[in-house]
Amino acid sequence: MFVGRSTGRLGGLNNSESGGVADAKNLRVKLVLLGDSGVGKSCIVLRFVRGQFDPTSKVTIGASFLSQTIALQDSTTVKFEIWDTAGQERYAALAPLYYRGAAVAVIVYDITSPETFNKAQYWVKELQKHGSADIVMALVGNKADLNEKREVPTQDGIDYAEKNGMFFIETSAKTADNINQLFELFEGEEQSVRQKLLTHWLSSKLGSCRGKVVKEHFIAPFHWRT
Amino acid sequence: MSSSDSSSSSSVDDPNPNPKPLDNQFESLNLEQESESTIIQNDDGEGQQDQESSLNGSLNVNRNNHEQDDRIDGGHVTSVLWRRTNSEVEVDGPSSPSSSGYAGERGSSGASEDDEIHEVANHGVIDGVFDSQAAWLPGKRHVDEDDASISWRKRKKHFFILSHSGKPIYSRYGDEHKLAGFSATLQAIISFVENGYMDELGDRIKLVRAGKHQVVFLVKGPIYLVCISCTEEPYESLRGQLELIYGQMILILTKAVNRCFEKNPKFDMTPLLGGTDVVFSSLIHSFSWNPATFLHAYTCLPLAYGTRQAAGAILQDVADSGVLFAILMCKHKVVSLVGAQKASLHPDDMLLLSNFIMSSESFRTSESFSPICLPRYNPVAFLYAYVHYLDVDTYLMLLTTSSDAFYHLKDCRIRIETVLLKSNVLSEVQRSMLDGGMHVEDLPGDLLPRSGSASHLGQHQQPTDSPGRFREPFVGIGGPAGLWHFIYRSIYLDQYVSSEFSAPINSPRQQKRLYRAYQKLYASMHDKGNGPHKTQFRRDENYVLLCWVTPDFELYTAFDPLADKGLAIKTCNRVCQWVKDVENEIFLLGASPFSW
Ligand SMILES: Nc1nc2c(ncn2[C@@H]2O[C@H](COP(=O)(O)OP(=O)(O)OP(=O)(O)O)[C@@H](O)[C@H]2O)c(=O)[nH]1
Ligand SMILES: [Mg+2]
Repeated sequence: MFVGRSTGRLGGLNNSESGGVADAKNLRVKLVLLGDSGVGKSCIVLRFVRGQFDPTSKVTIGASFLSQTIALQDSTTVKFEIWDTAGQERYAALAPLYYRGAAVAVIVYDITSPETFNKAQYWVKELQKHGSADIVMALVGNKADLNEKREVPTQDGIDYAEKNGMFFIETSAKTADNINQLFELFEGEEQSVRQKLLTHWLSSKLGSCRGKVVKEHFIAPFHWRT
Repeated sequence: MSSSDSSSSSSVDDPNPNPKPLDNQFESLNLEQESESTIIQNDDGEGQQDQESSLNGSLNVNRNNHEQDDRIDGGHVTSVLWRRTNSEVEVDGPSSPSSSGYAGERGSSGASEDDEIHEVANHGVIDGVFDSQAAWLPGKRHVDEDDASISWRKRKKHFFILSHSGKPIYSRYGDEHKLAGFSATLQAIISFVENGYMDELGDRIKLVRAGKHQVVFLVKGPIYLVCISCTEEPYESLRGQLELIYGQMILILTKAVNRCFEKNPKFDMTPLLGGTDVVFSSLIHSFSWNPATFLHAYTCLPLAYGTRQAAGAILQDVADSGVLFAILMCKHKVVSLVGAQKASLHPDDMLLLSNFIMSSESFRTSESFSPICLPRYNPVAFLYAYVHYLDVDTYLMLLTTSSDAFYHLKDCRIRIETVLLKSNVLSEVQRSMLDGGMHVEDLPGDLLPRSGSASHLGQHQQPTDSPGRFREPFVGIGGPAGLWHFIYRSIYLDQYVSSEFSAPINSPRQQKRLYRAYQKLYASMHDKGNGPHKTQFRRDENYVLLCWVTPDFELYTAFDPLADKGLAIKTCNRVCQWVKDVENEIFLLGASPFSW
């Protein structure tokens, strides 16, 4: 609300190498996480990057930058440069700074909170309006461990993601077990999914594919280290 | 405190016709032991301060065997006679608690600070702050309380932020939303005050007293800040604290937040401050442990001159590449800082910025990029802060006006970090954190100038196996002449140095009490209309407090309450000399943004 837009100079946080591919063997993917405060964006990133979960709340200020390189089987590497944005309202207007030029947007909600699901839809619309046309979006319902408190049915997430051509996944940054189980669901598929994601992203970068990603059930947007 | 600074600093009122360099001033401060022994006799309280103020930059000593010591409080002096015969101590005249403004500070160390309110202290919380600083946990407590709770009413110091329409924005205790009714009441009082009710002097009322409680108001456009306190802190101190709280809010939102109220007077601001409780509670906590909150100065981590220079050089390097401010800090202490041309950083901005960074845990997990506003630098614009922790306590802040400078700042940080590692700055910083700064036990014993530049802070430190600072603390041991603690503030540098706490000022509670006493001294010394040279000597059950303000520096010292006045004064001179001797290590000299 106060940040950014009024200055009229939101160039976007692009690396000199345009937030994209370094070379065919070493891919760089700029990824941004968006979503309401407290849905677990930082926890998801820290689980992914450091394999940790810290339950103490550490509300993000502005945005945090982290990176993680993963190796694919065909000896290519993918370096994720991750912008973990602050969900606090006062930083909302700052978001374009971080999603501008992002190849992947991960939009997170908390399955126990319908308001955060609404907020996720707000972000999807915002990205459809102001994000780059070829941005790959994933919808993530987090805190799947709190199933007994669930207020957003999985099907609602799937439906919304499908309608908007997004990937969909439910996660728990807290319980590594849950994450493992999710991945066991897609064992073997994982690689191809990631390849598909990257291929799509690459091709869209090349301008040959402008369509939306076809949604598949429970597709991991990236490889979860457990 | 560079010599060029001090040479230009003689006071207009200084009766010595020749401007003296600081060195010479120090020499002239060697005490005239037998002269003017009448100075400290206090037949009546009036003018006592002025008498002491007339000491021409020298502290004078009364060598009588027993001294009559004085408390000065708004012109009223309560006398206590301490008779000192060999090792015997007698109290000849008990003090009258009601006649001294120091009553709040003076409860014996075992007792609660306040005679009336015990509940809070008895639960190990003083003034809402946990008794041990180590045990202080960030974040708001007692959210379950509201203005109907007895516990809420008993808290000794409340802070509120509310909008001019009476909507709560922040409350130190309790849930803001539950306090809506109370906020409305406050708002009504403020409106009454704002609508022109004047006191005898024609000033808008900013302070209301109700029994033991003071209610201090600060009106900032559509935002009202209120402190309700029974801590007996001076009005100026409480007002200064409200100013800082307002500044902290501006740091997070900028003054642009006022526009929301123009559009909608009933605007609810609380969502905009979401997740910042911890920032405010940490600031409020620092009012009782961080002297920067009332000195309006910052402090440096003690480091060898060359080490700080090395850090400054690489920071300067990045500042030249379009960074507005580059600041390297370790906890609340500055390692080095530089500003781009002409840009200067106010100590209050540094305090608020470091409080914001340190209290927001997320900065520790990874590098961050966030908009912040420096209220003293420019309250209406955001800067962008790149923040990165280099180790657990040491963090680098690179401030810029450009919202898309992240990758540039990240590169700068990598360069800085590499240089700091190569030149061992980071390990020196760690070592300094362990060693601490100036220990009163290490106060050099003579007034002879030590051999030039060979003087180092470390030289005065005692080996670990000697009865030095590592010994078990026990009551009554401190520096020479009963020196327990000091704070030296350099006016020109906007910096202060505070000695490490030593026995018997061991507990956070005692430290807080001492800071409160200093704060009171500070307020009285900065009362308008006093000359440039001022001294104060106060003795009560807790301490002897000796304060000395000159155009160059301010010295606040605390001694054993039984300390000999003459020796105490002499010791103050030694402290000043010591600070001068090690200024290269304890202050950031030269290339600071303040010297432009
Ligand atoms: N039960 C459960 N709790 C979680 C999970 N992920 C995060 N949390 C909790 O949710 C709270 C908020 O998590 P964060 O990661 O800080 O939320 P955020 O989305 O980064 O919030 P902002 O930084 O304010 O935008 C933390 O206290 C976590 O303990 C999860 O998978 N399961
Ligand atoms: Mg976060």
